[in-house]
Amino acid sequence: MIHFISKRLKHSLVLLFMASLVCFTLVVSAPGNVAVLIAELRGAVATPGYVEQVAEEIGLHKPLLMRYVDWLGDAVRGDFGISYRTGTDVSADLANRMFVTGTLIVGSAAIATLISLALGFLGAFWPYKLPDRVSRGLALLGASTPTFFVGALMIYGFSVTFQLLPSFGFNGPKSWILPWLTVAVLPAAVLSRVVRVGLEEAMTSPFVLTAKSKGLGRTAILFREALPNITPLFINALGTQVGLMTATAIIVEPLFAWQGLGDYFLAGVRFRDFMVVQACLLIFLTFFIVVNLIVDLAVLLTDPRIRRQWS
Amino acid sequence: MNMLNPILARLKKMPRAALITIGLFVALGTFAPWLAPQDPSAQNLLEAGLGPMAAHWLGTDHLGRDTFSRLIIAANTSLVSVGSVLGIAMTIGIVLGTIAGYHRGWVDDLLMRIVDVGLSVPSLIISLAVIGIVGPGYWTMVLALALAWWPMSGRISRAVAVSIMSKPHIEALRVLGASPWRIYFGHLLPGTIGSVMVYATADAGTAALAVATLSFLGLGIQPPTPEWGQMLVDALPYLESDPRQVLLPGLALTAAVIGFNTLGESIALNRIPKPLTRRMLAARRLEVASWDKENSDA
Repeated sequence: MIHFISKRLKHSLVLLFMASLVCFTLVVSAPGNVAVLIAELRGAVATPGYVEQVAEEIGLHKPLLMRYVDWLGDAVRGDFGISYRTGTDVSADLANRMFVTGTLIVGSAAIATLISLALGFLGAFWPYKLPDRVSRGLALLGASTPTFFVGALMIYGFSVTFQLLPSFGFNGPKSWILPWLTVAVLPAAVLSRVVRVGLEEAMTSPFVLTAKSKGLGRTAILFREALPNITPLFINALGTQVGLMTATAIIVEPLFAWQGLGDYFLAGVRFRDFMVVQACLLIFLTFFIVVNLIVDLAVLLTDPRIRRQWS
Repeated sequence: MNMLNPILARLKKMPRAALITIGLFVALGTFAPWLAPQDPSAQNLLEAGLGPMAAHWLGTDHLGRDTFSRLIIAANTSLVSVGSVLGIAMTIGIVLGTIAGYHRGWVDDLLMRIVDVGLSVPSLIISLAVIGIVGPGYWTMVLALALAWWPMSGRISRAVAVSIMSKPHIEALRVLGASPWRIYFGHLLPGTIGSVMVYATADAGTAALAVATLSFLGLGIQPPTPEWGQMLVDALPYLESDPRQVLLPGLALTAAVIGFNTLGESIALNRIPKPLTRRMLAARRLEVASWDKENSDA
């Protein structure tokens, strides 16, 4: 157990190191002279002399390795430099935006879990019957509808036609519902299939046959025998989906005028604000690595088979 | 022909509705310039925001452009972009995947680690990061998406290549003294391309979605070229007064993606043995019983 955790932590650290290398190389290999950009940002005419001075100041003349170490040291301490476009501190923007995106992801993950479990169980309880077909159809529809179209439909249905919920802004739980639902559609669809297929597989295993021969009812078998069996599988799939939600956030946040990380990243991409792109990318990659770590530990907790393997 | 055989064999097993949807999408995309009744970019502000009528079958958008023509031309835009993305991504994936499958050892390990990392990061984030560094544009979009897409075909072609390399005829070729080039180009590559293309078609739906998403975000296909995602974002400010202009491109895109996803699911399902239903078990029992009878007769 301890052995597994320490091995897994080391693995994550290596991945983190690789992620930081990727982020650093991306920006270093960007075409154009960064010093000119900064010089122009400061409102000065970019004369060669001034550009030279700026380049000296931000350390462009240092060897790459030194620049990487400097950058990483700053990043670890939470200093991501200044935005080339606005001249403000990137870190100052980040804190607030991380809270917005965090709200989005946590809420959507909860909704997606509930919906997918409900749909999956519906299908598993009446396999190949009407409820199963309905749940399968909904899953196909949810997995195929573009997220931005889902968002537009949500706004049209709930805000324009019925005027129940606000269509934009980040103020209070009422304004959170539509973005939550929009982000939750795709993971709910994918996860419902995971639940359905996982349950079917569990229901054909020998231990279910034993339970049946003991005289246990269908409901009891589904919840007491099959559900604990698919929990590790579900956690694994949920982790993947939570990672993918960062991508969905990039689409959904601008749609609902939320000032989150996705919106920040998109603005950075649009205006080629390298420092913002770099900072967001590093945060996203770190997020994936951390989520994967948590998933592996959670699977270890919920799956006695794996636990026994490592003890 | 050797390459087409696995494709044709699998085509027969696929759901018909999905094939029709995809066929319609491909046909519309290919012949769009001849099918569109009107110039998709011709503006007429006097006829802006009209409902369906004889002259404009699906009405007009906020600039008075014919929606029906724009939807058809958008299929062409989408098809061409998806084709280029998948073409480039598959070329990279097949080349690297077959090399990994042929060589194994450290080359295989290294390439598959890269593929793992590529697959674990959402494709939208990879492509946006590339666009953010290089700057937006049509070919940047295609290259960025291809860069996000190749790990998928890389992994599949590696798996196919490994299975081909372990077949007896490759061993026989080696014994006969065939050169590595002959084995690679004559046997490994053609066998891999056929199978990978089947999977790539199933992937076309997500690729079309990605193109539309980037265009929706304003970083893919630029106006005035019509594209479903970009048409949708264009019409979004007029959602309240003219929802049709948002719904139509969204529905068109969704239909195309559903077609490809259904196809993909059926391809995936063909690989996994289905659990036996009660009816199938009964049929099997009957069949086994008849075998028994045949044996006793003989």
